[in-house]
Amino acid sequence: MMASMMLLIPLSLLMLGAAVWAFFWAVDRGQFEDLEQPSRLALEEDQLPTADAKIDPHPHS
Amino acid sequence: MPLDGHWASESLGEGHVVFNAEGIHCGNCARSIRKTLGELEGVRRVEVNVVNNRVSVDWDTSKLALGRILGQVSALGFKPVPLVGEAAAQAQQTERRLALKRIGLAALGSMQLMMYTVALYAGALQGIDERIAEYLRWTCLVITTPVLFYSGAPILRGALADLRRRVLGMDVTVSLALLLAFFASSWNTLRNSGEVYFDSVAMFVLLLLIGRFVEMRGRHQAAQVTDALAKALPATAQRIRSEDGVAERVPLAALRIGDLLRVNTGQVIPVDGTLACEGALIDESLLSGEPLPQRHVRHDAIPGGAVNAGSALTVRVSRLPGESTLHELVRLLERAQSERPRLGLAAERMASWFVVRILLLTVLVGVIWQLIDPARAFPAMLAVLVATCPCALSLATPAAIAAASSRLAKLGVLVMRADAVEGLATVDTVMLDKTGTLTLGSPRITRIETADGWDKTEALRIAAALEAGSQHPLALAFREHQHAAWQCEDAREIAGQGIEGTVNGQRWRIGQPGITLSDDRGRRASFEVDDPLRDDATLATAALSTLGLQLVLLSGDRREAVQRVANTLHIAVVHAGLRPADKLQRLREAQSAGRRVLMLGDGINDGPVLAAANVSMAMGRGSSIAHAAGDLLLLRESLQSLPEAIRVARRTLQIVQQNLRWALIYNLAAVPIAALGLMPPWVAAIGMSASSLLVVMNARRAGSEPAAGDDP
Repeated sequence: MMASMMLLIPLSLLMLGAAVWAFFWAVDRGQFEDLEQPSRLALEEDQLPTADAKIDPHPHS
Repeated sequence: MPLDGHWASESLGEGHVVFNAEGIHCGNCARSIRKTLGELEGVRRVEVNVVNNRVSVDWDTSKLALGRILGQVSALGFKPVPLVGEAAAQAQQTERRLALKRIGLAALGSMQLMMYTVALYAGALQGIDERIAEYLRWTCLVITTPVLFYSGAPILRGALADLRRRVLGMDVTVSLALLLAFFASSWNTLRNSGEVYFDSVAMFVLLLLIGRFVEMRGRHQAAQVTDALAKALPATAQRIRSEDGVAERVPLAALRIGDLLRVNTGQVIPVDGTLACEGALIDESLLSGEPLPQRHVRHDAIPGGAVNAGSALTVRVSRLPGESTLHELVRLLERAQSERPRLGLAAERMASWFVVRILLLTVLVGVIWQLIDPARAFPAMLAVLVATCPCALSLATPAAIAAASSRLAKLGVLVMRADAVEGLATVDTVMLDKTGTLTLGSPRITRIETADGWDKTEALRIAAALEAGSQHPLALAFREHQHAAWQCEDAREIAGQGIEGTVNGQRWRIGQPGITLSDDRGRRASFEVDDPLRDDATLATAALSTLGLQLVLLSGDRREAVQRVANTLHIAVVHAGLRPADKLQRLREAQSAGRRVLMLGDGINDGPVLAAANVSMAMGRGSSIAHAAGDLLLLRESLQSLPEAIRVARRTLQIVQQNLRWALIYNLAAVPIAALGLMPPWVAAIGMSASSLLVVMNARRAGSEPAAGDDP
């Protein structure tokens, strides 16, 4: 019992670390900047989303 | 720190600056900034807004440099950031991302902690290997440390700043609770006996951060309105050189009155000016919210900040960049936003009153439990400290007012004074001015009659050509009908008769009787001119009546004209033929009869009446905005925004009262339960955070509720 805990708990800590790292990475890449527009962009026919549109910090609403 | 033109404006030795100070969380931070800056020699006025972190300062530039002011703010532990431009957007983005990371770490950490804690709780009930329990406690300590000191950093830092300034803010009680719980748990882990509260610490940090994040989003949204305005002005303009007619790019600061500027399609008109070409299509949606571009003709005044929606045009500069409509608007708005509403002040005072009592109560609870059962003293103290934090109380009002202001701005109503929302919500009488308010304020041609079936358009064009140079108020009616093909070079005004001149080789005369166009053969056409009601005046007054408001029409005009308008609009109380002093008299009479009055006027000649009303709204168009005395400014040519604005304001006041009531009830109910030791610290953490979150979410309803008939 103790031996498996010795292995599994550090493993869970590692996974926690990985999850935190992945989240920070996503935030820094601007994944959560605009939660409104990208979902609507898919429905628009003539305008393809551009790289600029995704990271625009002030989308016109 | 770069000090460029974005930071401050200066005129006649008076400097004015508005900037964001990052790190303002509560009334105490604001108070310390006000106090410190107020003590500087040469500072005339300091306003600090807790909701949007804005600091606004007026100072004497001969006595003090801007650097000193910003330096003082930095020395207090706040980071001054310019309001507009790249730097502001960058600062907002950084703030948002950092907040997200903190929440992310706290959330993931809390989840993990919960699993270990469940094991510990189950173990405590069913029996657990002591070595495994110790191992689990150490693991919890390892996870909680970054959650408290990375995610919780803004809270701890806020408390430290409060203590350094010798004030007691919310952050102090919260940090005290967090640190007490953390270090007691760490100590128990080290000596391997007693309770641990790591899960409570992490959860409390997470919930506090979520509350702050929601509040921050609201603040950024409210700031966007002014930022959008301020960002609209370009940094350079295309000036047409008078010698050779070539356009050259010059900075705005180099412009002089009378300069001729070229504005290409889709570009922003950089300053206030008059149109110097035949006609133009101008989009003023940014200034007035009016969505459709408007036609303008030569000599029309064009506000800086409007967008050229038609082909390339030329304008003549009539006001310097620093004095343009847009600048005045931004400055007034900034001032209004950095003012603190009375309602907010009351809540803030109440919150700091609470903090002192909470600390006293906590000590009292600790002492009493020490006498009864020392083992339960610590959790009971912790619960009292956490459960009673007045976060909800101090957030209740500012969050709702900010949300309402940005909703109103979308309706084309700008809140110029912080108390205006409260005032608007409580009025029971609306006094309306007629000319320029219910009517368009500019005469229009309502009927044309021509002799022998002559073409009406041609008659109109000729009349417009004759009237082009005239300053007579009725001549304005013809201005929109001018056309390049009909020009009159030799128009001459004959006193009391009219105007005479040659159009396309023929002599014409326009004037008495009525407005008659005649040539040497006699009368050819006659025009009727009237100042018509706004299209939506009927709908707006009907909506106001539905809201239970009494309508009063005040006008300086003739009785019959006023009565006709009143009949159309179903306004029962009518006062005609009033001079400005009489209007003021009527207003005072209504007020002394106990009525709370909203005065709606055109903002120029109603100045005194507007100022005396409980709350006033000025029509922001057509007049210089700086002279508008209103608490609110109606930027759109639509009276329908008024009933909608009152509805929004009433809702907001309702929400504020709901919030305050809820926060009070919650705190009063939670204290005895926590003090009796019936509430474990983690329940207290959830209760307190949930109540703040509830208050902030409720406040956002004031802004998000889409109005009927408006875009969702």
